[in-house]
Amino acid sequence: MQIKQGLVTGFVGANGAGKSTTMKLMMNLLQADEGEIKVFGKSHDNNNEKEIKERIGFVYDSNIFYESLNLKDIRRIIAPAYKNWSDKQFYDYIKLFELPLNKAIKTFSKGMQMKTSLALALSHDAEFIMMDEPTAGLDPVFRRELLDILKDLMADKRRTLFFSTHITSDLEQIADQITFIQRGKILFNESIQDIQERFALVKGKANLLNPSTEKSFISVKRSSNEFQALTNNAEEVRKSFGDQVVLENATLEDIMYYAKGARHQYV
Amino acid sequence: MFNLIKKDLVIQKSQILLFIPFIMFFAIFGDHMSPFFIFLISSLYIPLNGYIYDEQVESNILLNSLPYLRKEIVAAKYIGSVVYMILSIVVASIILYIFDFSFTFRDVAIAAGLFFIFTAVAFPLFYVLKPGYIGVAALSGLVVFAILLSPVLEFIEKHLTSITEFITSLSTTALYLSGAAISIGLFLVSWIVSQMIYQRKVF
Repeated sequence: MQIKQGLVTGFVGANGAGKSTTMKLMMNLLQADEGEIKVFGKSHDNNNEKEIKERIGFVYDSNIFYESLNLKDIRRIIAPAYKNWSDKQFYDYIKLFELPLNKAIKTFSKGMQMKTSLALALSHDAEFIMMDEPTAGLDPVFRRELLDILKDLMADKRRTLFFSTHITSDLEQIADQITFIQRGKILFNESIQDIQERFALVKGKANLLNPSTEKSFISVKRSSNEFQALTNNAEEVRKSFGDQVVLENATLEDIMYYAKGARHQYV
Repeated sequence: MFNLIKKDLVIQKSQILLFIPFIMFFAIFGDHMSPFFIFLISSLYIPLNGYIYDEQVESNILLNSLPYLRKEIVAAKYIGSVVYMILSIVVASIILYIFDFSFTFRDVAIAAGLFFIFTAVAFPLFYVLKPGYIGVAALSGLVVFAILLSPVLEFIEKHLTSITEFITSLSTTALYLSGAAISIGLFLVSWIVSQMIYQRKVF
């Protein structure tokens, strides 16, 4: 799997698929049993680790900041850690997010904690921004605002954004690239256009199904006389079934749902 | 590194305010206590509190996501604890002096020596212990330490006369120097052990 520079990569998968683990591996919080992780083309060793982390902005799905401290004190701890820290940027985001500077983090709502992480992640000119479920627990208005902020950040194509989410409609709005994992294995890693072309929901009469036709589907849900299935080869299904079936665009949610019961290990 | 040491003060800001009344309490009511014990408790106050605060949240995830090396995080704890020990002893001496609580340089030296030995044992344990147990472990450790200290010394005095004879035969300087060498040596070994433990940790 590769995360492309300058693009937004969405990272999806069911609960427990390994999204947070992957991110922690990228931050060198966990050690890999096998395989290799490189960030900016460099692996985490004593020479590179600081430089790598200097260039990453991180947002985790739970609060990692000292709860009894207020934002001013948190800034006092985090700001000096980075060479490129910008107080101006930090206070701009605090203003934009309407965060109180003198209240303890533990009094913050989930959304405010997310905004806090985000403000801290964006204030040191990080090239690579990694977010674990940033939109979870946010109200719809701020979720949209957040997506707008992220879009703005990406405008100059200098930054790379990698984020995991369960809310697949967020991805459809901003992601260029989707990486889908299941039980720790990558099912696909493609551009959102390719996914939309390749995958389709197929609906038709149940009597069309037999072991050989079923091979074109990732998984099939059937009712008494009809079936619905997901294919990753819409072109072929269109050719072989013709007008007998109806093809619909598959949303990411459909893909996640059908992939869960998939017969193939790969999609 | 300096920032990591400073961090331990920032996170326990409210506790620091209690530090001076805490020593004043001992200065007023602790007249039956040995001054070295007051120095020892004050010198451990900030470093132990630092660990207790750190384990309350996922601070390991935070610190390790910032551009720090694991060995710097451990080093900051060890160097920081010495810095805070010295500062605390200075503050405690001033307070004890103001309250007319008599003490000698010997008390300070014993406290510093015991500080090194206590932290040498405690810090590596803090990296092994599950979060949530550090406060309890530190407190009970300190109590056990305080209770056992005098019986152990008495036992040595009574039964291991050869050791006590040897010790009393030493000049004061030699005694101080060897004490310092042993306790600082233990502290340095502990530093290496903690670093090895922390290097392997996953968060």
